[in-house]
Amino acid sequence: MNPTRRAWNKAVGMAAAGAAAGTIESCSSPPVRTQAWAPVSIYRAATYSEELYDLVRRIIAEHALDVRGKRVVLKPNLVEFDAHTVINTNPKLVHAALEAFRAAGAADVRIAEGPGHRRVTLDLADAGGYFATVPNFESLFTDLNLDDTTKVNLVRPVSKLQSLYLPNTILGCDLLVSMPKLKTHHWAGATLSMKNLFGVVPGGVYGWPKNVLHWAGIHQCIADLHALFPKTFAIVDGIVAMEGNGPIQGTPRTAGVVIAGASPVAVDATCCRIMGLDPARIGYLQLTAGVQNLGEELIPQRGERIESVAGNFAVLPELAGLRLSRS
Amino acid sequence: MLYSEDLLGRQNADGGWSYFRGGSWTEPTCYALLALAASGPAHQAEVRRGMSWLRRCQRPDGGFAPRESVQESTWVTALTLLLPPDIEGFDRSRAEAWTVDQTGRESGWVFRLRLWMLGVDSSTSDSMSFDGWPWYPGAAAWVGPTALSVLALQKLAKRGGGSANGADLKKRIDQGVSYLLARRCRDGGWNHGSTRALGYDSDSYPETTGLALLALHGVDDPKVAQGVARGEQQLALSASSEGQSWLRLGLGAHGRTSLPSKAPAMHGGVMELALAALADSAQAGKNSFLNV
Repeated sequence: MNPTRRAWNKAVGMAAAGAAAGTIESCSSPPVRTQAWAPVSIYRAATYSEELYDLVRRIIAEHALDVRGKRVVLKPNLVEFDAHTVINTNPKLVHAALEAFRAAGAADVRIAEGPGHRRVTLDLADAGGYFATVPNFESLFTDLNLDDTTKVNLVRPVSKLQSLYLPNTILGCDLLVSMPKLKTHHWAGATLSMKNLFGVVPGGVYGWPKNVLHWAGIHQCIADLHALFPKTFAIVDGIVAMEGNGPIQGTPRTAGVVIAGASPVAVDATCCRIMGLDPARIGYLQLTAGVQNLGEELIPQRGERIESVAGNFAVLPELAGLRLSRS
Repeated sequence: MLYSEDLLGRQNADGGWSYFRGGSWTEPTCYALLALAASGPAHQAEVRRGMSWLRRCQRPDGGFAPRESVQESTWVTALTLLLPPDIEGFDRSRAEAWTVDQTGRESGWVFRLRLWMLGVDSSTSDSMSFDGWPWYPGAAAWVGPTALSVLALQKLAKRGGGSANGADLKKRIDQGVSYLLARRCRDGGWNHGSTRALGYDSDSYPETTGLALLALHGVDDPKVAQGVARGEQQLALSASSEGQSWLRLGLGAHGRTSLPSKAPAMHGGVMELALAALADSAQAGKNSFLNV
């Protein structure tokens, strides 16, 4: 989701560097938490194999997700397609989630996304393997850029936005499942389950890219979207992730993990640690949770330990300040 | 003709068209009306119903909202100005004035002052020097809305300028053309408008390359020739129906009658039906984006 122009890039790059230095400004800092976040599970998954179907069923069971009779929307991350890299959430994991939520008794499970650059989402999904992997994909899919919309006023927004038009498919669901790819991001530092919510903002109203969000503040808009959908469940595709100049031009990196949990903040903070990034230096996590609430001790961990799957993902030089200091 | 019948079957009860299903939107309604108008006089009743719906989306500032419930005028206003003047149904002069006035936020003095304070000289940057059009007021200019606004204003100029001042009109068209030339990707085509991100080149897309080429018809510049070459490569490779249609429209505007090598992947959307009809019509000699 790139704003245009070299100069604009430079300005945004400076803002990102500011975030790296821990200087995201907020009117008020969230209070110190006295309770732990919802648990985060880390599962090993070497490949996009049939084993993912059992894995997502385990995730639903372990997190006691009761979706019986409910409308579930799976929101993968589709950006662009390049056969040489891994930009998008793998369709196998999304299909595994579709089958698992159906098996758990959901009344309706849809896949929905609104990419920020490409206008013809179904072409993008086709190129990304969704038609080949998900039977009847077209009938299960909603293009969030072109869905009917409702205006929603933001309560105490962090960004400059006062309201947003949002897709009715998202507003009407009982459970939104954010399914991003584990990636570094050249402006936000990391793009995970919270940043993935940019895709619910309709291009049909705001355009391609959704540049209004950049002008209103990338980190701030992520925080506002999270506030609109705080009960989002997150399942992160970290099997083959992306490092370097993400979210589009980065390099594939096999991390071999799926990360999941009912708190997007806790899941994203854990993902950052797995990538070797300090969550307390990511602007939108600062704004949403407060630096003081992002410690590992506040996030109950299940499955694999972070240390056993973590690595040092490459980042652009401008974002070197986001690196986790491992002592 | 086949596409026209499909489009008629997709018209909503309120007279407008949705993208796929659901409520009516200005964009697919404009393209459906353009396609029906290009198919001849047989569907005047449906066109009148469409125009009646469209009129409801015109806002007090003269611009059009992307759908009736959105309380903001946006880039879709340019699409209404592409409709033939003989299917009038809205206040065209106020829509013209609204479109002429729009620029990307980066054209404003506040942003340029901020860049200057950051040490960036926007006056010497070819990517910052020209005023394009934004998708949404208050945001930066991008290739899509700029190309469509250029096409709309070119049509207006050919008709004598309407209510717009002739010098203003020419200046905006020239700025838009310069904007598009400055936003060409290194591979020769166009994407959404970000040619480089943090020092890395971005690739072009078929649909935006076709649209930009259409807006650059009649422009004699080596960059356009390179864009045409890139467009022909994309047409040979793309299976996207909308991508193919935009490329056929854009290449046709430069005298190329290349046809795609792959069968288009049709998804049944109103946009792809209307654009395919418009590409066929252009190939038969009637380009609705260029003809007055």
